Amino acid sequence: MYSKLSLACLTLPVLTLPVYSKPVIPVGVDPQRASLYSPIPGTALWKCLDGSGEIPFSAVNDDFCDCKDGSDEPGTSACANGLFYCANEGHVSAKIRSSRVNDGLCEPECCDGSDEPSGVCPNICEEIGKEYRAAAEAEQKTRRTGAKIRSTYIAFAQKEKKRLEDAISALNIEVAEKRANEARVKDILERTEALDAAALAHKKESPLYRHLEDKNDILSSLLTSHAELKERITALEAVLDGLKRGYNPNYQDMAVLEAVRGWEALSGEADKDKDKEPAAADDSSAKPAEPPVEEEEWTLDQINEIKNKDVVSLLLEHEKHIGSSGITTEQATSLLYSLELYIPDAFLPIYQSAREWLVSTLSLLGVVTTPASTDSSSEISKARTSHSLALNALHNAENSLKSEQEALEKLFALDGFGKKGEWKKLKDVCLEKDTGEYTYTVCLFGSATQKSNRDGASNNLGRYSSWNTSPSTSPGELAYYSRQIYDHGAQCWNGPQRSVTLDLSCGTENALLSISEPEKCEYSFVGTTPALCWLDGEMEEAKTVKAEKHRRKEDL
Amino acid sequence: MRIATSVLLLLPLAHPLLALKAHDFKTCSQSAFCRRGRALAERAPTAGSSWHSPYTIVPSSVALSSSASSFTSSVKSELYPDINFELEVRIHEDGVVRVRMDEVKGLRKRYDEASSWALVREPSLKNVKDVKWVKGKNEVKGVYDDVEVRVQYQPLKVSLWKGGREEVVLNGKELLHMEHFRVKEEKKEPETAEGGAEQAEQAVLQAPARPTAWFEGEEEDGLWAESFSTWTDQKPKGPESLSLDIHFPGHANVYGIPQHASPLSLPTTTGPSPHYTDPYRLYNLDVFEYLADSPMSLYGSIPFLHAHSAESTVGIFNAIASETWIDVSHPTEDSTLTHWVSESGILDVFLLPGPTPEDVFKQYARLTGTSAMPAHWALGYHQCRWNYISSEDVRSVQKRFDEDDFPLDVLWLDIEYSEEHKYFIWDAKNFPDPVAMVNDVAALGRKMVVIVDPHLKRVSTYPVYEKAKELDVLVKGRDGKEEYEGWCWSGSSAWVDFFHPGSWDWWKSLFRLTDGKDKDSWRWVDSTENVHIWNDMNEPSVFNGPEITMPKDNVHYGGWEHRDIHNINGMLFQNLTSQAITTRGSTPKRPFVLSRSFYAGSQRLSAIWTGDNMGSWEHMAVGIPMVLSNGIAGMTFAGADVGGFFGNPDPEMLVRWYQVGIFAPFFRAHAHIDTKRREPYLLEEPHKSIVRDVIRLRYSLLSVWYTSFRRANADGVPILRPHWVMFPKDKKGFAIDDQYFIGDSGLLVKPVTKPGATETQVYIPEDQVYYDYFTYNAYRGSAAGKTITVSSPLEKIPLFIRGGSIVPTRARPRRSSPLMKKDPFTLTVALSQAELATGELYLDDGESFDHQKGDLVWRKFDAWTLKAAKRTRMTLKSSDMTKSGQTVVDGSLVAPGAYRADNAYAKSVQSVRVEKLVILGLPKKPTTVIVQGVAQKEGWTWEGGVAADGKKEGGASVLVIKNPNLKIVDDWLVEVEF
Repeated sequence: MYSKLSLACLTLPVLTLPVYSKPVIPVGVDPQRASLYSPIPGTALWKCLDGSGEIPFSAVNDDFCDCKDGSDEPGTSACANGLFYCANEGHVSAKIRSSRVNDGLCEPECCDGSDEPSGVCPNICEEIGKEYRAAAEAEQKTRRTGAKIRSTYIAFAQKEKKRLEDAISALNIEVAEKRANEARVKDILERTEALDAAALAHKKESPLYRHLEDKNDILSSLLTSHAELKERITALEAVLDGLKRGYNPNYQDMAVLEAVRGWEALSGEADKDKDKEPAAADDSSAKPAEPPVEEEEWTLDQINEIKNKDVVSLLLEHEKHIGSSGITTEQATSLLYSLELYIPDAFLPIYQSAREWLVSTLSLLGVVTTPASTDSSSEISKARTSHSLALNALHNAENSLKSEQEALEKLFALDGFGKKGEWKKLKDVCLEKDTGEYTYTVCLFGSATQKSNRDGASNNLGRYSSWNTSPSTSPGELAYYSRQIYDHGAQCWNGPQRSVTLDLSCGTENALLSISEPEKCEYSFVGTTPALCWLDGEMEEAKTVKAEKHRRKEDL
Repeated sequence: MRIATSVLLLLPLAHPLLALKAHDFKTCSQSAFCRRGRALAERAPTAGSSWHSPYTIVPSSVALSSSASSFTSSVKSELYPDINFELEVRIHEDGVVRVRMDEVKGLRKRYDEASSWALVREPSLKNVKDVKWVKGKNEVKGVYDDVEVRVQYQPLKVSLWKGGREEVVLNGKELLHMEHFRVKEEKKEPETAEGGAEQAEQAVLQAPARPTAWFEGEEEDGLWAESFSTWTDQKPKGPESLSLDIHFPGHANVYGIPQHASPLSLPTTTGPSPHYTDPYRLYNLDVFEYLADSPMSLYGSIPFLHAHSAESTVGIFNAIASETWIDVSHPTEDSTLTHWVSESGILDVFLLPGPTPEDVFKQYARLTGTSAMPAHWALGYHQCRWNYISSEDVRSVQKRFDEDDFPLDVLWLDIEYSEEHKYFIWDAKNFPDPVAMVNDVAALGRKMVVIVDPHLKRVSTYPVYEKAKELDVLVKGRDGKEEYEGWCWSGSSAWVDFFHPGSWDWWKSLFRLTDGKDKDSWRWVDSTENVHIWNDMNEPSVFNGPEITMPKDNVHYGGWEHRDIHNINGMLFQNLTSQAITTRGSTPKRPFVLSRSFYAGSQRLSAIWTGDNMGSWEHMAVGIPMVLSNGIAGMTFAGADVGGFFGNPDPEMLVRWYQVGIFAPFFRAHAHIDTKRREPYLLEEPHKSIVRDVIRLRYSLLSVWYTSFRRANADGVPILRPHWVMFPKDKKGFAIDDQYFIGDSGLLVKPVTKPGATETQVYIPEDQVYYDYFTYNAYRGSAAGKTITVSSPLEKIPLFIRGGSIVPTRARPRRSSPLMKKDPFTLTVALSQAELATGELYLDDGESFDHQKGDLVWRKFDAWTLKAAKRTRMTLKSSDMTKSGQTVVDGSLVAPGAYRADNAYAKSVQSVRVEKLVILGLPKKPTTVIVQGVAQKEGWTWEGGVAADGKKEGGASVLVIKNPNLKIVDDWLVEVEF
């Protein structure tokens, strides 16, 4: 890939020259720049291209570097960092560095041999040109085939777009409905609560409630620290597993050996691994088997359920439980309160104020006493429940909407699935490569793994994080989509977290070609995909976009 | 104590990388014979005047040899009257004195072959007529030139006098002790029979004091078995250590005994407030993450020491191969006492009388040989990493070097190229096409260096191991029968015993490029002439051995224990591989074999490096004195890994490290497998371009390096010259080890080794003009020495041309050094204050041995100025400096009668031009420039400035003569009149 880039920089198409009387072009000068290599009119002098000095025109290409910028020696190696133009007739012209001129080697880039004294290098441009054109033709062919496949990816993205748009409009309606309902139920809840806020405040003074609150706080904090510890243990286990798998027994480091043996003993693996279940090692070997849940032990779900219980509702239920000895009133009054559920919204305020009046009057008269508040607690509790249900429903709908909207946005985002959404089709498509010792897998936009073919032990090499991060490319360009980064994989012993750089190029298949590890735990995957088979038009387009962006930046 | 603990606790947290495992390696107190030696040295001063050496010469036994300048005599120890020792003193042709002492007619024989490996040949002795022997009552004196060797009988003492001054004294402090072989006394268990308890107690109380206790101490300390960590050394031969004090009454500075990460001028280890508390140790070890300031052992050992003062220089070569500890102290300000304690071997000490540093280098070179003439490409840039992981990786690294136009000569492969670390056997999965890969690299004139370590994987599928087993040339375990098994990279491994003559031809045959006599024998067919070798881990490194090396009671050829030959072991491996590479093809070619371990004489083979350094500023800085120290001990083809083996240097550090690296004879970048890739093309700007310019600077100076190598090859004077070597009388320069000169070129460099540096102080030791290499700014020193301050931003290396030098360079950047073969030269003439200059240039084909037959070009350039009444004329002359049959320290430069000015090599470069003459420091603009008698109207430019003569500083005047149409191989004259 690198070579192609550099070749692109150095290889220029031969342009047909205008047919005036040709001046003699000094050796190594690009015909386009020929006019720069003529004496100052009326003199035998020549001005260095950077204007730094004047030298006799005869000193151009005299194999001695006179000009500071080296411009006087386009055809020799006398000046460092110059470029030598090879016409390469029969092939494409090229510019090679002056360090290659007259060094006794025949550069393939300069197939006409003009960089060496005559007789040193044969002109092989015809042959090379033929090969070059054949290769270019083959590449074009691949590109055209790939582009056809790619167009199906684009069509898929369009279909996906349609699906998402439909879903979004349906969800928009649903959200509106859910929002209205939530508002209505919330209103009821607020009124109910307002009615009883004072009583509730009093009840909250109850030592039992406070105790309950405290316990809840403690439970929360225990759960947090439990979760943290668990995470830490998992991380430590991963480190130790990594150590066990990756340590080099050749180092004979006793501390490391002890750690590995200790861990094997602790995780009860030493025997298990050797005797049986090599296949099951995949998952279970990574962690020590979880101790079976004891009967009396609480599961996390149970604990969470308890923690998440609405304490206020509990308080109210408790009140009710203590206050009521029978069943009837509860049912009766609850009916009274629940009535409001059946009253049309418009009449609700009237009904409520009427009810308030009624209740307070009755209370004054001693007809309805304390149990009334118990009943109201129950109503509040119910109102709460129905509100939280409505709120949940709204959130669910909103979330679905949001995720579909995001999906739509990402579908055509330059840093998402590409301008034409062609990468969407490849999401979660997994490519695999067996290198003998390991099988490597990358699920595009998902994660990469390394699996041992010997014992099936598997390593997480990282999750998709971004396209090419090189500052030299930007979203929308071919080079940008030619690289994906997967990172934050499993920690390496004595090394970094594993990561993968996936380099892709146009091909008719989605495939991995090679895997290597140029730096410890930093993998390089090379593969092909039709998604990168751009047609020439698109290349141009991308260039224009880039140029425009550039211009706009400059305008700013 | 508390402070110490907290420091210990904090250190690992603050510097997780600085993780030397100090407990893996012995201190003197953990080594029984060192303990005994140091205790002996401590006993002497406390004993006061009652202390005396128990060793005396039997006067009647002194026997002068009639044929040569030597004598032998019997030596007795009053401690053990029944034991016989013999002393021999020989005087070499060049005045070097060799003193040998051995136990004779003893129970066993001490190891006496160290010198046979170290010496290039048996030294010839002075003609007996030239030495006058005078026998006195208590001494015998040998007198020659202005030297006297005095051998005192009682107590035994050998001293070297020069010009009436006592220069070196052996046993002057009476610490000589050669432990004799003895039978282990079975300890009698105290009788436990009834009623015997009391008796036994009495017996213990009445145990007679050892009669030798006044000298050897009350306790027997570790004479037999000795444990360290989990290992036990059985020491079947018992004690056989050797203690020897070597005193320099008139020399305050000592240098040498590499390899240690310590200053060049060796700091003290004993006496009042010593710099180090442990002695310098010589015991080749693979020290993981070594410290940047320590007397600890490292990978190589050269028991050669210079003692220097403004008046004279002398040298000591102690030909011993066993573990050796050396204490250094200054009994007075102007003297130095060294105390050498070795575990085994005879006493075999060479006294080199000097009197100048240059004389000492030549005397040492006559003993152990000069440095080999390297292949020219080996002086280029070497790019290494553990590991380039596949042949595609190798090709891509090469491509990126070329794309960014960095010169590069050698690409390296570390251990992972091999299948399961079975060296030679390519890992076919990643290197399916090794020969094609090497050919692709070689297509650009480049070479590859591939690692071959000395541990052989013990599997029947490894033909190298199988053959070694069949030939029975593997190192044996303590029983002397079974092959020794240890752990190294390849897991369970065995080691070839290169002391076994049976291994020699076989090892060479492995590298043969074509079938030899033994066609069925396995050889490395997947190799080419462009593959050279890296011999690592040859201390030897053994992961599960004591101190990460072989057990001392392992047995080598001839029944010698590993302890006897340890420090030579690595050299033998490099020696055989070098021979193998030299002779593998149809015509002999100069080998390149990099070794980590080395000994006296290793310079005759190839290169070494300073081992697994760390990517820190401290390690970058200490690399300089380490390379200097190796150089003054003969091992001049040396360098430290650029960038540091461990760690990830930041771009600034990496740039500075390249600036250090290009000024070492061996220039290689290397990195550990856990580090990020850091090939120079990966740097961002401006660092990338700075490093490109730095590497190009190295390449432009390759002629200077090559000429310096030839000089070192001829006379043994090191390539890197510390101040005390260049200016032996300038006391201010004796301790300087962060700036140095390159050969005779007149280039003075002070690499920057501190972060954020923008200025650097440079010491100018003489009243002379020094020109900034890049700007031609003229600086002046003074006769008393002067420190100047120069600007040194990141892109700038403080590099100077000493006035009076002519520097030949090739300015055209190329991808590799062989591609520079036909490039023209630039000569920079830096006039001295006396308006003179001189320089030289050596060229040959860079790879064959034809230079020994006279196929070479060796030019001398001289510039001088003659003032006449009307005009002054400066003349620059090029002349041939090769004389046929010219003798050099190590034989003759070219076979007598063989050299012809129009030899084949000279013809092959006869078209190579001098493209540019740059003359610095002319007093005024020339009126005429005359090239070969023809006045040049054009073709030269003048820029006025400071003249060489005078006191002014600032930009020097520069005369540039363009394309003078001169050939480098020709005699010519250029005259400038003004």
